[in-house]
Amino acid sequence: MNPVFRWFHQLGSPPTFDRFAARWAPWCHLLGLLLLAVGGWLAFQVPADYQQGDSFRILYIHVPSAWMSLLVFALMAFYAAIALVWRIKLCEILAMACAPIGAAFTVITLATGSIWGKPMWGTWWDWDPRLTTELILLFLYLGVIGLYGAIEDRRSAARAAGLLAIVGVALLPVIRYSVVWWNSLHQGQTIRIFGESSMDSSMLAPLVVMVVATKLWFLGSLLARARADNLRRESGKDWVVKLAQVRP
Amino acid sequence: MTYLPYVIAAYAVFVLVLVWDFVIPQLQIRSELRRVRLRSQRDSNRAAPAELSR
Repeated sequence: MNPVFRWFHQLGSPPTFDRFAARWAPWCHLLGLLLLAVGGWLAFQVPADYQQGDSFRILYIHVPSAWMSLLVFALMAFYAAIALVWRIKLCEILAMACAPIGAAFTVITLATGSIWGKPMWGTWWDWDPRLTTELILLFLYLGVIGLYGAIEDRRSAARAAGLLAIVGVALLPVIRYSVVWWNSLHQGQTIRIFGESSMDSSMLAPLVVMVVATKLWFLGSLLARARADNLRRESGKDWVVKLAQVRP
Repeated sequence: MTYLPYVIAAYAVFVLVLVWDFVIPQLQIRSELRRVRLRSQRDSNRAAPAELSR
């Protein structure tokens, strides 16, 4: 068997995944934290915007969090689909571990957007298409978390919540194109991965660092949360009993 | 006009939510391992008197 496939196959085993997550989650968190610190420092080194003043610095946490809120939902649906089709337990665990992290990034997006909106738009909140669809995304995350918690059998719960995640993916393009399809108080697209951004290049470096940092942070959180759920599901097994005795 | 208080508030929210995101799984892992350890201790304590009575 191909060594990469064999490694993935072995990672599906709960004790192997536990060792993997216990080893790599702290490194992902540490690297993410270092990059967040660097990105945060860089964010305050670039000159203030000529129109928005210092308030534009909120962009460096608002935009990466908004991107994460969408990416994590897509990843959650991807894991959920794999779990539904191939009944891979680890994918159920990973899908469900995505939900609280994605919800956290969505809360950051909504809160920082609201704080940014007050000085720029003169209001904390507006029922604008982008803001409203992002709020619906938060409700979807909460729905997935709630559904997973409401059903006693973990595997049935993961399947039901996973189905909600897959259906919810339809919202992602609506959020992405909401500023294009409707008249919106929210600004249009300024940063493009392919093509020229309308944002000045001097302002881009901290954003790139923060985008990478949030990805690493997410990986750390995903591994840690999946490890916790894995331990909960496997709590009756010998390897967990041994682990509990070794690590009080 | 400086909008620094808004910037500080936004960064504070960001840090607080990330701290929550970090702490919760650590607590869950610790409590799960503790629960398993206590249960195995209870099981072994329950088994001990039965062996003595033989």
